[in-house]
Amino acid sequence: MTAITNLLAFFALGVTLVLVWRQSWRGRVRLFVVQSILLGVLAAAVGGLARRPALVLVAAIFLLVKTWLIPRVLMRMAAGAPLRPVRPGRSSGIPVLVAGGLVVIAYVIMLPVSTLPAAALPTHGAMPLAFAMALIGLFICVTGRDALGQVTGFLVFENAIFALGVVATYGMPGLVEAGVFLEVLVVVLLMEGVVVQMRREHDSLDVDRLQELRG
Amino acid sequence: MIVLMLVIPVTAAGVLALARGRVATAVHALATLLMLTSGLTVAARALRGVEATAFGGVLRVDALSGWMIGVIVLVAGLAAAEAPRYAHGSGQRMFYALFHLMVFTMLLAVSTDDVGVMWVAVEGTTLASVFLVNFERSRASLEAAYKYLLICSVGIAIAFVGTVLIYYAEAVRQQGVVEHAAQGLRWTTLLALAPALSPRVLQPAFVFLVIGYGTKAGLAPMHTWLPDAHSEAPAPVSALMSGVLLSVGAYAILRFKPIVDAAAGPLFAARILIVLGVLSLAVAAAFLWNPGNYKRMLAYSSVEHIGLVGLGLGFGGVLGVSGALLHVANHGLAKSVVFLLAGRIRAVYGTVELSGVQGLLRALPVTGRGFLLGVLALMGLPPFGLFTSEVMIFAAGFGAGHVWAPAAGLVLLVIAFGGLLRAAHAMLFGPPPHVAPTASGLSAVPMAAALAALVLIGLAWPPGLAAALELATRAIVR
Repeated sequence: MTAITNLLAFFALGVTLVLVWRQSWRGRVRLFVVQSILLGVLAAAVGGLARRPALVLVAAIFLLVKTWLIPRVLMRMAAGAPLRPVRPGRSSGIPVLVAGGLVVIAYVIMLPVSTLPAAALPTHGAMPLAFAMALIGLFICVTGRDALGQVTGFLVFENAIFALGVVATYGMPGLVEAGVFLEVLVVVLLMEGVVVQMRREHDSLDVDRLQELRG
Repeated sequence: MIVLMLVIPVTAAGVLALARGRVATAVHALATLLMLTSGLTVAARALRGVEATAFGGVLRVDALSGWMIGVIVLVAGLAAAEAPRYAHGSGQRMFYALFHLMVFTMLLAVSTDDVGVMWVAVEGTTLASVFLVNFERSRASLEAAYKYLLICSVGIAIAFVGTVLIYYAEAVRQQGVVEHAAQGLRWTTLLALAPALSPRVLQPAFVFLVIGYGTKAGLAPMHTWLPDAHSEAPAPVSALMSGVLLSVGAYAILRFKPIVDAAAGPLFAARILIVLGVLSLAVAAAFLWNPGNYKRMLAYSSVEHIGLVGLGLGFGGVLGVSGALLHVANHGLAKSVVFLLAGRIRAVYGTVELSGVQGLLRALPVTGRGFLLGVLALMGLPPFGLFTSEVMIFAAGFGAGHVWAPAAGLVLLVIAFGGLLRAAHAMLFGPPPHVAPTASGLSAVPMAAALAALVLIGLAWPPGLAAALELATRAIVR
């Protein structure tokens, strides 16, 4: 179990780093789907090996929501947005470097938490990896210059937290997982509504144009 | 009874999503009355020390929940009385439905024992209110709604990390195998297990929980969404958000505090809350001297008061926590009244800019006087209840041996006081414009009652209040 969870989490982190580097919107959505597939398989693997049928079911719902429903909404949101929405020619070097730094920070924060002497979970190695993905998602969200970029960051962040929940607790109680899926879906749909109105009002999704409210 | 209390607003939201016109207003009024009756009944029972549970313990109302339920239904009642002024035309159905849905999510958040369900409910409050913030569909309200949705969703997701870590800690206790205690996410279970939980996990978990729920509570530096959302939302929604939604965030932090205290020692959580409390006071005090817009001014005043609540929780002890809880109630009543009156002022003057409002006392005698009293209450002057709760909070601070934090808090409070006074003075006095007063005396009755209650709390506590507050505090402080 240790090998397979570490490997899947590691690949997912790699995909997340590529996502930081990619600037094309469609490329980012595709990478988000790849990340979701890896994490869904991770959840299913943990569920299968630890004999938690509920977690396997959660993984199936996760895959359905994250690789089919949400990408559809994202593509609908993006319809009409330029492929490279932000500042052409902006280098991806520094963001990738920062993301690398965040991986180190994630280890600093999560190692003491994940390696408690009394309790080495078979999955503990994946905890810092999942947390690193969360920090990178947060970073994408904070530095996103347009609404689509910020939504992607939020979704990456949310995926990573799901993964953290899986490797740290073998799945939260069903009621909570169901609530989480519902909320993510509603957030994305609400975002779509906001983005549609934003496009109508400002003819752009550039959040720099949102500056009526200051102070 | 708890179930009934929760079913009423959900059913109301469902019905109101379909009803229109006068029928909708009538249903809204009926639902509000039922909400008040059921909520106050549940609160009264809980505050007499009778604990109630439902759904196998998922719902559990102790005295602390009862206190919060009481505040929520009272503030929601005040806001609901003003709602028909705003809900008309094409947005009516959405307004009423989401209003009651928001009340439901807040009631659920404070009446569940499961910290996972509490998380879902708190996130639900954001989702229910996003469209209400963007109700006017202007550029500014769109921007406010976008910031609100994004910042609060990210914040609450951070709180989820904290919840995951708490659940992880609870399982890790069991020697390397993930075997959760039965109902391991129940607050009562966690509190019982707390002394055995690892401080190495609980400390980062609490940091995540404070960042997450602190975002909802509007503690600085996570408050950045708050002034926009509170100033752009229609007045009844601002009243609900400022009056109780912030306190629901603070309530979530309060629930986790005794667990972390038992696992990691009492100083850890206290320090974080005191620092954030003083920071919130500083941010608010700085802004209140140059507000520009009176709804933003009130929003920053909320940051100030939530900072005081944070200080009270940080200072801890029976006095600090009861002071914070009493402050939640006082601020809820005062701030919702002032926000509702600000909505009326805006309707008459047609602007939210401070420079556009003058001579309020002469132009709108009823609204103006109410606004004056409400602002005086928010400044923390006697004879209003906020004075009492602020004295309790600072007494707890000095009593617990803190010197710098309460001293800095008092100085910042005086600075904020001056800023608020200056702005209110400019609004209330001066030459009145030519406007026709619209408010009838009758519609001011609920707000007058709220102000009267504040005076009562400030002068002499009504019978039973002290015992109720003591019980609510004892749910957290042993």
